[in-house]
Amino acid sequence: MLKNTFKVFLTLLFIILTSFGYSNENKLNDYYKSIRCLVCEGQSISESDTEFSINLKEQIKKKYISGLSFKEIQEELISIYGEEISFKPPNDHYLLWLSPLILLIIFIILIRKKFKF
Amino acid sequence: MKKNLIIPIAGLSILLICVVYYLYQPVLSENDTEKLPDILFETKDFYNDEIINKQKIGDFFIVNFFASWCKPCLAEHPLLMELQSKGIKIIGINFRDDKDNFIKWIKQHGNPFEYIILDDGSIAYEMGLIGVPETYFIQNSFIQKKIQGPLFYEDVEEYL
Repeated sequence: MLKNTFKVFLTLLFIILTSFGYSNENKLNDYYKSIRCLVCEGQSISESDTEFSINLKEQIKKKYISGLSFKEIQEELISIYGEEISFKPPNDHYLLWLSPLILLIIFIILIRKKFKF
Repeated sequence: MKKNLIIPIAGLSILLICVVYYLYQPVLSENDTEKLPDILFETKDFYNDEIINKQKIGDFFIVNFFASWCKPCLAEHPLLMELQSKGIKIIGINFRDDKDNFIKWIKQHGNPFEYIILDDGSIAYEMGLIGVPETYFIQNSFIQKKIQGPLFYEDVEEYL
């Protein structure tokens, strides 16, 4: 009975540990896809095998294992390499992205006033 | 002012403010200075097994990333040797290299470095290295100039 319980415990422990490792690897791989390889053309570090990408992947993994969150890693990467390191535009640029829409709304308002429809 | 013009004018004003704000965001130029990361002064020299002595290295020095597998590093090596002969202190950072190949390379081509640090990539990451060779000109712990790619005579002629 005790032997069986121990076996079940070991199996559960194995499943938990492997699934934890697997999900961490997956999270890291997903994150690598959002980081631009600065010496490649339009590639992320996930797809690139340059020394730059290999090193960056290793350093990010080290930081992640040491307990840093992806947000903290992202901030550090931007402070070192600048905003071009990330494929994701920073949140504070959304206003700029929305500016064509704002212009369109203003244009529609002006047209409506002019022709009164 | 006509009432019906208030909304478009307010909208255009907001847009103008946004454009001006984004245009005047600080952008790093070549003249901007950046502080040297502390990790450089925490790592031991390969030959003497000692941490870089800030007094010995002085206020002005050069940090050069190189590797034995890097062909352009070999092309700029004579310039580094010349800089050393003129009394310029150079810290060599050997980037992700095979130790035996690195030792052979230094024996074969000469050692222009005051200190040599073997880097697994951590220092390169902290300094924002893009690739080897890369050279940084340091004044009072601040990066004054950064050259990506091999050095040319024009880059260092003021020191020769």
